[in-house]
Amino acid sequence: MDIKQYISSGIIETYVMGLCTAAEEKELELLRSQYPELNKAISACEEEMEQHMLRQTTLPSADTDKRILDTLTTLKKPASIVQMPLRKRNWLKNIAVAASVLLLISTGFNYYLYRQVKKSGSAGSNTSLPLSDYKVLLDPSITPVAMYGVGSHAICRCTMFWDKKTGKMYIMIHHLPQSSAAKDYQLWAIVDGKYINAGLVKDEIRGKFIEMSNIPPGATAFTVTLEKAGGNSAPTIEETYLKGVI
Amino acid sequence: MPEIKTYTEPELIRGLVQHDNAAYEYLYMNYRGSLYNIILQLIPNKEIASDVLQEVFITVWQQIEKYDENKGRLFTWLVRLTRNTAINKLRSKVYKSESKNESLDNYVVAIETNNPDIENINRIGLRKQVHQLKEDYKNVIELSFYNGFTQEEIANSLNIPLGTVKTRLRSALIELRKQFV
Repeated sequence: MDIKQYISSGIIETYVMGLCTAAEEKELELLRSQYPELNKAISACEEEMEQHMLRQTTLPSADTDKRILDTLTTLKKPASIVQMPLRKRNWLKNIAVAASVLLLISTGFNYYLYRQVKKSGSAGSNTSLPLSDYKVLLDPSITPVAMYGVGSHAICRCTMFWDKKTGKMYIMIHHLPQSSAAKDYQLWAIVDGKYINAGLVKDEIRGKFIEMSNIPPGATAFTVTLEKAGGNSAPTIEETYLKGVI
Repeated sequence: MPEIKTYTEPELIRGLVQHDNAAYEYLYMNYRGSLYNIILQLIPNKEIASDVLQEVFITVWQQIEKYDENKGRLFTWLVRLTRNTAINKLRSKVYKSESKNESLDNYVVAIETNNPDIENINRIGLRKQVHQLKEDYKNVIELSFYNGFTQEEIANSLNIPLGTVKTRLRSALIELRKQFV
């Protein structure tokens, strides 16, 4: 590898602007760990771009500033939930991290669909994807955990997707009644028979795949209860809506 | 408004990861001008552009754990996030219905208007410099950076080999970079 030639080929500029193909990005990231001069050249390019772009500013209106700053101060720590958009089409640029997370989510979804199809013998009305997709996206490391409605909430459904390799857990709500403003649904992981808070399940996540970021290790079952807004330190068992066992 | 403390980049990143409000306020006050400028290069309507700006900062709040210092500077990550959020918006049905009269179907968007709420996107920031490049270079940056097409998609739509797209894009960006200094 003629690293000097590689550095001056324009690949660095393409990478910094986020316009590489996935293969180019992979190659560059591998090479940068081997060639310090490449790393240096990337940093130099980033700094130049930053300096240049920081000089080109247009300020939003004072109202916009106030609105955004106010919004930022009201956001709660996403310790419980990191909301990820659904992967819709392939035209999004491949940002390595986003893409890999989306792929995981999509894989989980397709595995879930695959299982549903296998179970029911036919694709459901709103989950019909070409059958060929199921095989391709089947990832054996992802285990779906079906959660069923409890007692009078028998109609409620949700699925959690557990990635054994990474330990990551994703959730998708299929049916859960809207909570009132004064209430929030809360997810609990059961570890050694004890309920551990695993974050809030907000109304706005319906129909989306969400990564739950604070699942404790060793969880063997999950429940969703209805609690006061913001959640509780211990579950209100009589308000259990969903339950699922790994 | 309370006094804003200054941060070094590592301090700022730590503050962001800890979801410290003061760090987010600093981030917003320092980067809003350049990020808003980038958004306006893609979305000329100031009202929609400021919604996108808000979405970008909320996404930073939600996804800061995904930022990897080893892969690049914070600003580089912010620019990518901003561009992706703006492109998503451009492609959304809502945006298309909100801006029916602003012929965005074609990638060369030339808005000739005196409306102060609409910026002429070809005359702002980096995009202005892109438009000073030769035609081949300009087109390839327009399609990739401003319209989010992959190199493969560009090769298909312009009916040229992928290798040509690569070479052209790289040369175009080298040319563009010369204007950074």
